[in-house]
Amino acid sequence: MEKVKQLFRPKPIVLSNGKQVQPKLNPMYYILPILVFITVYSMNITRFSFATLIARGEQFWIIVSRMIPPNFAYFSNVVNPLIATLMMSVVGTLVGVILALPMAYASSTTMNQSNVFRGITKAISSVLRTLPVLVLALIFRIIFGPGTFAGTVAIALFTFTIMTKMFFELIDTADLGPFEALLSSGANRIQAFWAAIMPQLWGQYYSLALYNFEMNIRNAAILGYVGAGGIGIILNERLAWRVYPDVGMILLVLMVTVLIIENISRTIRKKLL
Amino acid sequence: MIQFKDVTKTYPNGVSALRGITLDIEQGDFVAIIGLSGAGKSTLLRTINQMIKISTGTLLVNDIDVTSLKGKKLRRFRRDIGMVFQSFNLIKRTTVIKNVLAARVADMPFYKSMLGLYSKKDRMIALEALDKVGILEKTYTRADQLSGGQQQRVALARTLAQEPQIILADEPVASLDPVTSHQVMSDFVKVNKDLNITVIANMHHVDIALKYARRVIGIKEGLIVFDGPSSDINEDILTEIYGRQLSEDELMGEE
Repeated sequence: MEKVKQLFRPKPIVLSNGKQVQPKLNPMYYILPILVFITVYSMNITRFSFATLIARGEQFWIIVSRMIPPNFAYFSNVVNPLIATLMMSVVGTLVGVILALPMAYASSTTMNQSNVFRGITKAISSVLRTLPVLVLALIFRIIFGPGTFAGTVAIALFTFTIMTKMFFELIDTADLGPFEALLSSGANRIQAFWAAIMPQLWGQYYSLALYNFEMNIRNAAILGYVGAGGIGIILNERLAWRVYPDVGMILLVLMVTVLIIENISRTIRKKLL
Repeated sequence: MIQFKDVTKTYPNGVSALRGITLDIEQGDFVAIIGLSGAGKSTLLRTINQMIKISTGTLLVNDIDVTSLKGKKLRRFRRDIGMVFQSFNLIKRTTVIKNVLAARVADMPFYKSMLGLYSKKDRMIALEALDKVGILEKTYTRADQLSGGQQQRVALARTLAQEPQIILADEPVASLDPVTSHQVMSDFVKVNKDLNITVIANMHHVDIALKYARRVIGIKEGLIVFDGPSSDINEDILTEIYGRQLSEDELMGEE
């Protein structure tokens, strides 16, 4: 590596009085070739080709055009799965963010003084965090059978792992002054956490919970694909039968719902912070 | 009554903060601890409520060996000792009353403190504490909207709501301007006289220390180099404590 670097080393700059300055090697000289190599290699493996993209790309617009106009009569069939999707997100998010609170406490370096205990909790949530929500849904479908319950549990567990990580990092950066004051007044660590740390963080906690809720609505929409209930089931079915006007209606309802909820959530979150 | 006998403290990184402290402090006394930064003032103060554990020696508070206290008994013991900090250590995003009520949390069952179910008695204690330091009208103001002096008064009220016998003050006026410093120190004097609470304060400004404390303890490199009434302090003793003469402007505090 050193020899390779030597090859690219820029020439020293000589000042008028003879002093020399050695400019640093721009790392792009070796990072760029590596990036190009990885990209080309990956395109070979995945058989990615711009030619196909251009040739078949028009199919996308053909499908989209068949969805327009959407079949508005199909709306009544969308309502119930949509409500199921929303409820999965609400319940899953709620359970996840509540359970994440004690777990975040246990994962925080400043709160949990036991290195062993903290190590274990962190290891558990790291492992769980590697599983995508779709994989979780597949597992819970096997355990609980197909339906919204499996989807809800998958969302709850997914939210729990994400929220734990996001929130324990906030706890670690909270002002410890009030915490010390509470400890010195005879409170135990959990009481001091609740009375001195959480009042600093409630706004951010609710904000993160809402952010997770936004994410989970999109997650819940695709969970139907693995049989875990919600709007994804009819989406999958209509797509398989190629009833594009119905698909258009489902997507339209989904988009409008997500947009409305995102905007409400964003407005509330702005107020909270 | 607080009794230190040959107390030492060596930190895990090898720093000797206290190197043999022997000291008696009577109930109701007003003691100022002075000395350079790093002399061991903060360590000395925090050993009294066991926020810092001592390495060797004995430390008795009201004839209880505090080094043997653990868990519940230690927390019960801390209930009787209030603490005030240089940076006030208030929860800035919440109201004054909630900050003061936080001092009652240690006495409550956990589910009650979790739901914020403070009793009527707790609320009365908190409000009376705010009245004692003269900021009752700020009860429902958010702590971060108060001036530094007002924040330190809230911190003092929080400590009073604990109904302590001893108040430990770690540089209570070091981040305040001179006028406010004198107001806050007067509050400490009032609390000391009216409620017979022992006040032990680390002081940065020598003349403020001399003005308000009855007794002054000078610390240098973990050892007591002076201990006596504040009226006995003179140039020579200050030179001994600080290692050099203090100039006029270093004696700030008087307007």
